[in-house]
Amino acid sequence: MARQKLRGWGAVRHALSTAGVAALAWACVGIAPVQAWSTVDGTLEVHGFVDSTTHGRAHGLGLSKQRFRGQLEFSKNFGAAGIFSSLSAHGIVRAVYDGVYDLNSDTYGDEAGGQVMGASTGIPTPNGPLLTPWGSSPVTAGNPALPGGGGFGFDVAANPNTGLRKVGRELGASSNTGQFGGGLELFTPVRPCNVDPRGCIDGYLDFDEDDLRFPEFRDDHRWLREMYVDATIPFENGNELNFRVGRQQVVWGRTDLFRVLDQVNPIDFSVQNIYEEFEDSRIPLGILSAEYRMGATAMFDDLNFQFLWNFEDFQPSVLGQGGQPYNILLAGDLFRALGNCWDNGCTVSNFAGLSPAGNLATDFPAHTLGIRQANVPDGNDQFGMRLEGVFKSVGFSVNALYFYQQLPSLHAFQPPAVNPFVGRGIPAAALPPFLTVGPETVFGQEFPRSYLPAFDIEFPRVLLVGASGDFYVDQLGSIPLKSVFRVEVAHTNGEEFPDTSKPGMYSTSRVMRWVVGWDRQTFFRTLNRNRAFLISAQVFGEHLLDHNLIETGTGSIGMPNWKDDFFLTLLLQTNYMNDRLNPRILTAYDVRAHAGVVGPQIEWLMSDNWQFILAANLKFGTARQVFDNNASANPYPPFTLPAGTCGPVPSANPPPCNAPTSSIGLFRGYEPLGRFRSGPIGMAQHEDELQLMVRFRF
Amino acid sequence: MKTSAFRIVKSFLGVCTLAICTGTAGAVTIEDVERSFFPYESWTPEFPGYTAGMAIDQTNVEQFKEILDPGMYEHIKAGRYVMQTTQTESLALHQNYIEATRKAVASPPQLNANGTVDNFVAGRPFPEEPDVADPNAGVKIAWNFKYGYNWGDNAAVCPMYWKLRDMRTGNLERTMRFCIHFLNMKHRVNQEPLPEFKDNPGNLYRAIYLIVNEPFDLSNTQLLMHRYEDDLKRDDAWLYLGFQRRVRRLATGQTTDAFLGTDMMIEDFESYNARVSDYDWKLVATKNVLLPFHHHNGLSLATDMPTMPDGFKFVDFGGQGNCFPKSTWQLRKVYVIEAAPKEPGHPLSKRIMNIDAQTFTIPQQSMFDRKGELWKTLTNTQAYPDDHHPKNKGSGVSINDGFASIDVQAQHCTTGQFQGLVDPSLSPPSLFTVQGLRTKAH
Repeated sequence: MARQKLRGWGAVRHALSTAGVAALAWACVGIAPVQAWSTVDGTLEVHGFVDSTTHGRAHGLGLSKQRFRGQLEFSKNFGAAGIFSSLSAHGIVRAVYDGVYDLNSDTYGDEAGGQVMGASTGIPTPNGPLLTPWGSSPVTAGNPALPGGGGFGFDVAANPNTGLRKVGRELGASSNTGQFGGGLELFTPVRPCNVDPRGCIDGYLDFDEDDLRFPEFRDDHRWLREMYVDATIPFENGNELNFRVGRQQVVWGRTDLFRVLDQVNPIDFSVQNIYEEFEDSRIPLGILSAEYRMGATAMFDDLNFQFLWNFEDFQPSVLGQGGQPYNILLAGDLFRALGNCWDNGCTVSNFAGLSPAGNLATDFPAHTLGIRQANVPDGNDQFGMRLEGVFKSVGFSVNALYFYQQLPSLHAFQPPAVNPFVGRGIPAAALPPFLTVGPETVFGQEFPRSYLPAFDIEFPRVLLVGASGDFYVDQLGSIPLKSVFRVEVAHTNGEEFPDTSKPGMYSTSRVMRWVVGWDRQTFFRTLNRNRAFLISAQVFGEHLLDHNLIETGTGSIGMPNWKDDFFLTLLLQTNYMNDRLNPRILTAYDVRAHAGVVGPQIEWLMSDNWQFILAANLKFGTARQVFDNNASANPYPPFTLPAGTCGPVPSANPPPCNAPTSSIGLFRGYEPLGRFRSGPIGMAQHEDELQLMVRFRF
Repeated sequence: MKTSAFRIVKSFLGVCTLAICTGTAGAVTIEDVERSFFPYESWTPEFPGYTAGMAIDQTNVEQFKEILDPGMYEHIKAGRYVMQTTQTESLALHQNYIEATRKAVASPPQLNANGTVDNFVAGRPFPEEPDVADPNAGVKIAWNFKYGYNWGDNAAVCPMYWKLRDMRTGNLERTMRFCIHFLNMKHRVNQEPLPEFKDNPGNLYRAIYLIVNEPFDLSNTQLLMHRYEDDLKRDDAWLYLGFQRRVRRLATGQTTDAFLGTDMMIEDFESYNARVSDYDWKLVATKNVLLPFHHHNGLSLATDMPTMPDGFKFVDFGGQGNCFPKSTWQLRKVYVIEAAPKEPGHPLSKRIMNIDAQTFTIPQQSMFDRKGELWKTLTNTQAYPDDHHPKNKGSGVSINDGFASIDVQAQHCTTGQFQGLVDPSLSPPSLFTVQGLRTKAH
């Protein structure tokens, strides 16, 4: 297949031409106005759409999405049947082809990536830090200062310097160096897993090229997006018991853009980071929803109780795989880099040396650090309950959900890892006496090590308890508010966060999340004489009740996540031409990360069938944040202590120099933990995009 | 004694003041009720030069300006529409509604100082003939509309098709297919439970539920409105947006915004869909005006619309841009009301409503923008229930058969074609809850 490189305005031109060709094609074949198809009795109805979505990314990254999508939706109403007062079935079938992996293959497809160079700030040159090729770092195999020459280095033939990219390169830092003693740099394979299996995490992020092109046709049959049966049993007192069984979306909560209570279905962030409508980014799951509807009671205007059982296998949120255009927090890139480190070894810039003056690129052997595996639970044991109703005009809900954390938690310490500071073939008896003689010190013998960034990915159990409400306020004193307020609050127990102060590199924290939303219809008659503007603002807050941040005197260690973080969103929307021309602007700002996004959009409904959306997604702010990178931890005492702390290696050192210790926060950088401070907006500063969608509905 | 006399005078003055304020000085009689419900028993409206069956068009419109709604006059004058007239006929509402009004004569409802109604059980609250000189005449008529037998105790309009058109070119821009359901929680006269639902902690008077089936981008959009018995309490409204899959509470401003981009506001539903207390009401005149009343089955019905499985066909539209209903127009007794919104930010400055004196429906009105210029006309055609869908026979409901909302300034219109069904099974109470929105969503 002929490859194209679509960058900058080329991508825009491609987008426009794609839309034009699509429109022309439909026009040429003489498609008349089409409505949904239904049977004569109206009990079966089928409709759907086909669309083309094109995203062109700035900063020379070119085309980031060229998605062709078809969707069919059907509803069959069986009416009353047996004990059921109503029985119906509903389904959505979806097929997607994303051509970006073919059209921009050298950025996101099977030709993506290239050769990389590791940086050593500890060896400055006139052009900056010394740059050495992948696998040829200053700290590599055959180090005379280490017993037996040490065990650093990896097999470059099996793990070649091709198809790689520096994690976070898109964010603009040409070299993550020059401050904080030299930040770590990791390198990720970026080609689809059938082309380059390095770093692909089995059963979690292991998508081959067809999985990426046709995401609905992965193993879990996502093409069958929704399929459920709805049945209602009436009672004599007017109450109803409703069952909705099958693959479905269960929507809790009252917020836009960020989720507080709406946690039942995981999210596919690889569709478009956090910016896709939840309707399209939620991952429907096999769920039994039983709902007892009491309607109006003596006290409540409306009262309902819902019980949920998610019987389909657990599905984590899809972060996006290393090399994909959208991977939230660039976590997919990081995970794949770490996966490759574990499986095959890797070069890490600015690691060894342990000196604030500068460090050295280091070639880690396999099974030393990285991500070993993802332990995805079966997870068909997630439950939820909700009491929902209306009381004195206030809509309310009380929610509880016992589920698996949908975002991954990295557990260190569990994967036994090798000690690269001891060379191959050194018998235990030949080791210097200051080392504890045992399997942990023999190269090739894997042994659990505290504070070592060698991880398994886990999805812990979480209990969420929360509540929500909405109400209308017409007047506040003499102020005509005429506003709707939406409130959500959720408390979780069991969520896990990275924590460099802990031997396992993670800890749990109870979390309070809350949001207050404000909606108001307001006329700005000079801008739109007859149609009001919807002003919708939201403030989100997140508070980690067990936040752990320790000042060591040389820096901060612990949880990179902010103890308190706030997001602000603002939506401004109006309509012209009888709602056929609909401009809107959406902004969001991460207060602690100092990162924001503005998304202007204009929608044109040419007819009942044709819809065009032109949008932009532009970031602003300071983008990346830094945090302790754990390079000053001491998982391999005494080798990994900062120089001079316990005497020259490998001379004898007394305890506690021989005991593993946590990082002292001496070295900070963007990678790998700064991303948790930058947040999803800050870590996507490179995703400035121009977007065009053309849809034909029927 | 002196004190007692003073008290008597004070009491008398107090009663008089209350009477003047609330307009309850005149006692309502059974004759008032009969005249209210059967105005054409022994009288036929007339106007010089007018004969039923004639057409009113550009050539003769000036002659009949007095019996035309100001907006309709403008349409005909501009050559957009030819109005076909017909004989005036009585449209008797359901006997239970009339009987409830008769029963209330012994202890009639009263307008209180807040402008709301006390002592109302059911029926038409103020059947007595209004007097232009009575400052409360307008608001009483508004109450008669609010507690009117509009769709009876409950009904569904399903399907109803709304079409958005450019009136200049006739270009059909969008077609929407809805179902809308109504349920009275209180003051019921015909269907159990009577006179109200037992579990009604919010003290709702009425609920309206609407769901959009087409077009696809709006499919599954649902609207729920709760109107409270306390007319001073704001309506509550919720919108379920299919693409968001969640219920959003509506701010009141959204009921005076163009609904889904049509030429209708939520406030325009059923001609007027807000609280009485949202407007100031003034009776301008009692006079004869041409209103769209027709026998559905006697009309030439739409051939470009789907025929329902039971053979029901929709009312047709014609005139400029196909923006006008092909209804027949009757010269009828009308209370001309000028209603001005109290809210300063309201997009309208006033509505001129032609309220049919027999049915208290609002078949024709004109709306004026904040500058006082004619903005929109709203026609709601009324059909005789015995010549409509078989389910409606004997329902005693003036069946709203279709509408035309025309934006005179933008030369744009939204038309509605209804299959209205007075059938309690179509509107169970569970439909009118917030959870009902989620239930219907898929």
